[in-house]
Amino acid sequence: MAVDKKKLKVVNNITPSVDGKGIMQGRSFYTDDLAAQGSLVIKILRSPHAFAHIESIDVSEAQKLNGVALVLTYKDVPHVSFSRAGQGYPEPSPHDKFILDEYVRYVGDEVAMVAAVDEETANEAIKLIKVEYKVLDPVLDFETAYENKSIIHPEDGICEMFPIGFEPKKNVAAAYEMEVGNVDEEFKKSDVIVEETFYSQAQAHAMLEPHSSNARLDEHNRLVIYSSTQTPFHMRRILATTLGMPVSQIRVIKPRVGGGFGGKQAFHGEFFCALTTLKTHRPSRFVYTREEVFGASYTRHPMKISMKIGAMKDGRINAIDCRTLSDTGAYGEHSLTVFMIVGSKVLPLYNKVDAVKFGGRVVYTNHVPAGAYRGYGAIQGNYALEATIDILAEKLNMNPKRVREINSMKEKETSPIFEIMGEGTKGTAMIMESCKLPYCIKRGAELIEWEKNWPRKKISDTKVRGYGMAIAMQGSGIPFMDMGSASIKLNDGGSYMVTVGATDIGQGSDTIISQIVAEELGTTVDKIIIYSSDTDLTPFDCGAYASSTTYISGNAAWKAAQKMRARLIKEASTFMEVKPENVEFDGKTFVSGDKSISLVELSTKMLYNANLQQVQVTESYYGHVSPPPFMAAYAEVEVDLETGEYDVLNYVTVTDCGTTINPMLARGQVEGGIVQGLGMACFEDVKYDKKGNLLSNNFLTYHIPTHKEIHKLTTEFADSYEPTGPFGAKSVGEIGIDTPPAVICNAIYNATGVRIHKLPITPEKILKGIKELKK
Amino acid sequence: MIVNFYLNNVEVSYSIKPGEYLAETLRRHGVKSIKVGCNESSCGSCTLLIEGKPMMSCSVLTASLEGKHITTVEGIQEEAAKISKCFSKQGADQCGFCNVGFALVIYALKREYKNPTDEEINNYIVGNLCRCSGLQSHMKAIKEYLKEE
Amino acid sequence: MKVNEYYRASSLEDAYRKLQEDPKNQIIAGGLWIKKIGQDCNALVDLSTLGLNKISETKDEVIVGSMVTQRDFENSNVIRSLFNDSLAFSVREIMGVNFRNIATIGGSIIGRYPFSDVITGLLPYDVSLEFYPEQKMSLEDYLSYKGKINAILVAIHIKKGSGKGFYKKVKTTALDFPIINFGIAKVNGEYRIAVGARPLTGALAHKAMDYLNSQSKLDQESYKKAAEIAAEELMLLDNKDASKEYRTDLVKVYVRRGLEEVSK
Repeated sequence: MAVDKKKLKVVNNITPSVDGKGIMQGRSFYTDDLAAQGSLVIKILRSPHAFAHIESIDVSEAQKLNGVALVLTYKDVPHVSFSRAGQGYPEPSPHDKFILDEYVRYVGDEVAMVAAVDEETANEAIKLIKVEYKVLDPVLDFETAYENKSIIHPEDGICEMFPIGFEPKKNVAAAYEMEVGNVDEEFKKSDVIVEETFYSQAQAHAMLEPHSSNARLDEHNRLVIYSSTQTPFHMRRILATTLGMPVSQIRVIKPRVGGGFGGKQAFHGEFFCALTTLKTHRPSRFVYTREEVFGASYTRHPMKISMKIGAMKDGRINAIDCRTLSDTGAYGEHSLTVFMIVGSKVLPLYNKVDAVKFGGRVVYTNHVPAGAYRGYGAIQGNYALEATIDILAEKLNMNPKRVREINSMKEKETSPIFEIMGEGTKGTAMIMESCKLPYCIKRGAELIEWEKNWPRKKISDTKVRGYGMAIAMQGSGIPFMDMGSASIKLNDGGSYMVTVGATDIGQGSDTIISQIVAEELGTTVDKIIIYSSDTDLTPFDCGAYASSTTYISGNAAWKAAQKMRARLIKEASTFMEVKPENVEFDGKTFVSGDKSISLVELSTKMLYNANLQQVQVTESYYGHVSPPPFMAAYAEVEVDLETGEYDVLNYVTVTDCGTTINPMLARGQVEGGIVQGLGMACFEDVKYDKKGNLLSNNFLTYHIPTHKEIHKLTTEFADSYEPTGPFGAKSVGEIGIDTPPAVICNAIYNATGVRIHKLPITPEKILKGIKELKK
Repeated sequence: MIVNFYLNNVEVSYSIKPGEYLAETLRRHGVKSIKVGCNESSCGSCTLLIEGKPMMSCSVLTASLEGKHITTVEGIQEEAAKISKCFSKQGADQCGFCNVGFALVIYALKREYKNPTDEEINNYIVGNLCRCSGLQSHMKAIKEYLKEE
Repeated sequence: MKVNEYYRASSLEDAYRKLQEDPKNQIIAGGLWIKKIGQDCNALVDLSTLGLNKISETKDEVIVGSMVTQRDFENSNVIRSLFNDSLAFSVREIMGVNFRNIATIGGSIIGRYPFSDVITGLLPYDVSLEFYPEQKMSLEDYLSYKGKINAILVAIHIKKGSGKGFYKKVKTTALDFPIINFGIAKVNGEYRIAVGARPLTGALAHKAMDYLNSQSKLDQESYKKAAEIAAEELMLLDNKDASKEYRTDLVKVYVRRGLEEVSK
């Protein structure tokens, strides 16, 4: 049923975040703020080698140190392989990780754990552990990883959960191939063919709250884990399986989370907290240092993508072939899923092709592992595809905007890729019920004055402005796989307690779900008490990933609110002794003819006086489709032709994410995504030395955008309604990050004639290109 | 060693190690509003005011604060609420880990400048990183707060 | 970082005596770098009660106490009035105000950090350092002084003059150390050119300066020539932030631009 947006009072209206004030006043409690007093402090001895075998390890001196409670090596932990990825079951990632192992596979890999009374003692104990390593030849160039003589995972006991192309003896974590039609035949028909190769880097999430966890035993001796996580329910399951405990003996609490962006989908310190507390019966806590966040958690997958596109003279693209090589580092978290999205959430943008092919492999190297990061796969694929589209347009002698207009996805259309490719499995066919991409392209062009400005404008002899564009799509959850649920309980006084498994990690899902429930129940958000998420208290949710929360968890909350509404009307009709179908409810009062009862009265009476019962409803939702949000993005950059330095003066986006449940939070998601994407496009360089040491491991060497780099963001939304979404909403969490690498690459090219094929796009690379052009 | 200072105008006396930094001291004494994002003076999350001036508490030696006045967000509750209102209006708040540091630095900015230019605002707040927002919304929110009487 | 004692010095003499007691005793300025290094030490010697946090002036010079914070330095009207605000400008680009309220000018100089904005910003001017026990040394001499100086930096003396300054920090983002930085000035008719983060510590381009200061008439071509001489004479190297080649290109551009700017 379509909702009339004009009649909405809470949803799609300006609503302050439900928690904003308390957070600003310092009343928010993040994971480490909640560690039990007297917790043992956990520290990890990390590998100084990119690849080595532990020949011997002596912890006796460390154990003897006063204040040390526990020292663990691979000899002391369950030898059960698992994936840290934090995905549903069975995981599409290889089980290739042990809590501690006799091999270390990157500089920073875990060698041993110490738990001590304080940080100083723990650090002291770490220094007392004696390790003898047999140093092995590391693989530090992912293009040489396949069938390299150094095998990064030679050990027994690792496995895939279902076929994902896992071939550890060849350093392959996952592989995938698909083809629709026959690209080779189609390329023969193309008038113009372009083929380009692009490299993207291992971007770091750089969330401000470091990975944190702590553990304690409750009065039933159950293990209670507080974790800064995006996936508390997956965490409970994976902890139970790996530690050989019943799920019933573990409780995972996700307090306020200080940013995730995919980085907190996986495990970081939780196993060590769990083991320490189980073995010592004492509470424990573990907070990553900033250096560990950079060098010992995981990053975006670096990739090499070759994009071959064929087109006819009139601009119609007839075939695309995308070959991808992905570097998953030492462990294969999200290796297949990220890889597949390079195809599945990028290539359908150009759905009028006669043939499309996608494939390649994900290889192990001795780098910091790669894993989930906002826009995963899509940002890498978008960079390669959208830069190549501009190259194609030039070869066709057409405006790149026109090439996109002709070939891109429209409403009521589809792509065969949707059915073929899912996340690690087969996909789901779907038709675009909502797609305002043509409007987004048109409106964005107006805002940047494309026709007037493209491709460049001379400012002075040394300054020129370039204009670039790209389009993008995402998804909204994983169909038939991601499930969210919500419970609503009526309180006396007429307020509602909403418990959701959906994990608010700062994106504002607590606010959005409150709005959805308030709208449906005709009330205001101040009557909603929301709590997320705690495996003991809140219903299940897959977690905050895959752009699923607004669409999946939001739909669950909407369904629950609808059920609550019907239930309230039924209970009110019993009180008024009328038929439910004759009862009207405006959120405050139930009316039937001349009879009425207020919600306040009804809710109070049902707990104390008559028809005694607790009214509580629970509903679940999973997607049958994954409606993509769409975006058109444009940028104006000003380049100094003598130094290569440039400023992004304006970044214009027009987004179709269906109904914006909370317009300001939606803007925050889009703009926040853009700025992270700009970070990847322009500044965030990942540097290793020759031995595999990560050099960019703090905020002084890894440069995320600051207020001084962001000049102007022009952000608009298309008027759009997704019939399957809650109040017409689609996702908006990831779409913002996808376009900047391609847009900036295209804009720099249009300004200077220099095409940068390797991220980030630095002034030094640009100047080098300018000098080469002059030769 | 013992150090005595004023925490939000209340005199406190803490037993500390000579090489201890303020963020650690305060968190150990239950002031959990101080957020430590990098612990190496580069993210600004742990910002508080010493003698009214914003400083990163991860990098100020506690022993150097004898007799000084320290203000945390608990000392500027009403102003923090006002700043939050401006943040909310501009969609500037997300995970909130950096917010307390921002509240203090913005509060100090307002007291130090009458009508700061964009450049002056940027120079003032650039030491406070935020990874969630588009950053532009901060600027709009700050300008709105500065206009308030 | 392990520290055994926090020592509040009652006088410079007292601080100096404490410093001599143990090679592992250390002066703290703002305390930032000590944290960054994280090295264990015996006693931290605090100079904050010795009145070294003041900026004063005489007819000929401005005297900046070594404990003046970067923030107080950039805000000082005395400093801002010198050489069209270019001294304050070099400091204003260092991190955020919550950093500059901690970092001191003395601390920024004494470590001779290659990435220092303060050093490159001050180098083109007539700047000398005053130490305890009594010793005075030009900033340039201090930068080339072999070994660690066994004295306490007390003040920085900046000679007044008429003219203009230029400061440029090439960086990735605002919180970056400079990839390379430039301090260029024309004071009392004399040109001075300093380049830092080469990635070596700031240094003056004497040959380029001599070239300019010996010309009777200067034009665009002479600035270009001076920039080329500077790129030739200064040792520029590769590091993870930039290649030698890129640094060379930047020297040629920014020295020329700086000279044009200060000649206006």
